[in-house]
Amino acid sequence: MLIFSVFKTLTDQTVTVELKNDLSITGVLKSVDQFLNIRLDSIKILDEARHPHMMAVKNCFIRGSVVRYVQLPADHVDTQLLEDATRREAANGKR
Amino acid sequence: MDTSSGIQEPFDLIRLSLSEKVFVKLRGDRELTGVLHAYDGHMNLILSDVEETIMLVEQVEGGPEGQTTVNVAKRKMNMLFVRGDGVILVSPPSRT
Amino acid sequence: MSDASPPPPPAEASPPPPPSTSGSPTDFLKGVVGKRVVVRLTSGVDYRGVLSCLDGYMNIALEQTEEHVNGTVTNRYGDAFIRGNNVLYISAAEAL
Repeated sequence: MLIFSVFKTLTDQTVTVELKNDLSITGVLKSVDQFLNIRLDSIKILDEARHPHMMAVKNCFIRGSVVRYVQLPADHVDTQLLEDATRREAANGKR
Repeated sequence: MDTSSGIQEPFDLIRLSLSEKVFVKLRGDRELTGVLHAYDGHMNLILSDVEETIMLVEQVEGGPEGQTTVNVAKRKMNMLFVRGDGVILVSPPSRT
Repeated sequence: MSDASPPPPPAEASPPPPPSTSGSPTDFLKGVVGKRVVVRLTSGVDYRGVLSCLDGYMNIALEQTEEHVNGTVTNRYGDAFIRGNNVLYISAAEAL
């Protein structure tokens, strides 16, 4: 739930999603759900030459389970807040 | 039920590593080091000042069977979410 | 090891240790906490260390851990958290 909340605070920010098949997609985070499925707008593929079939795609829905990493805008992440929220969730014992 | 380090469950080890530099071993011959800021029960992680190391093991061309070279690729990322299902191991690297 | 001194009489108040050949898997896991263990992952990598604790997902906290890849030590960790889904088995590396 905590990570879901973090992603919600990052809506309308630009993120780079790296998939488990090595495809990297940069785009504007439009929405996220509890499974960490992600909707991106105005997308750009990192290595377009290797993925020409993606050239015409402007927005996409990414199933959460195929994500390896998401690169986040560091200036929009409050690390102190994150650590406190993580300790609070750990103390609540729901994991 | 207390061991020397006062850890009662495995996640305590991770909780005590918050705001510390950690080493993460991932599936696909990848390793990360970075400062841990958040985690959850799936071992989803948020790290900053991340360095990723990718080990690319290749069969030596024309070499004897099983002879491989390991190519190492590194890159840095500022702030990174790591999906928990790829995590194998997490360790606070300072006290190795 | 000469025969100069007779063997001491058996202590009166020492119940025999529980036999390790019986008991449930849970009993085994309770018994190996604090002991040296080998944790083998599905990838074939072994981790040898002292088992600090574990949880119902078989997430594991190890101390003084050595990573063994086909017989050679490839890494050492003061503490290590291993995500349970990667675990193939946990084996006792000392008498229980």
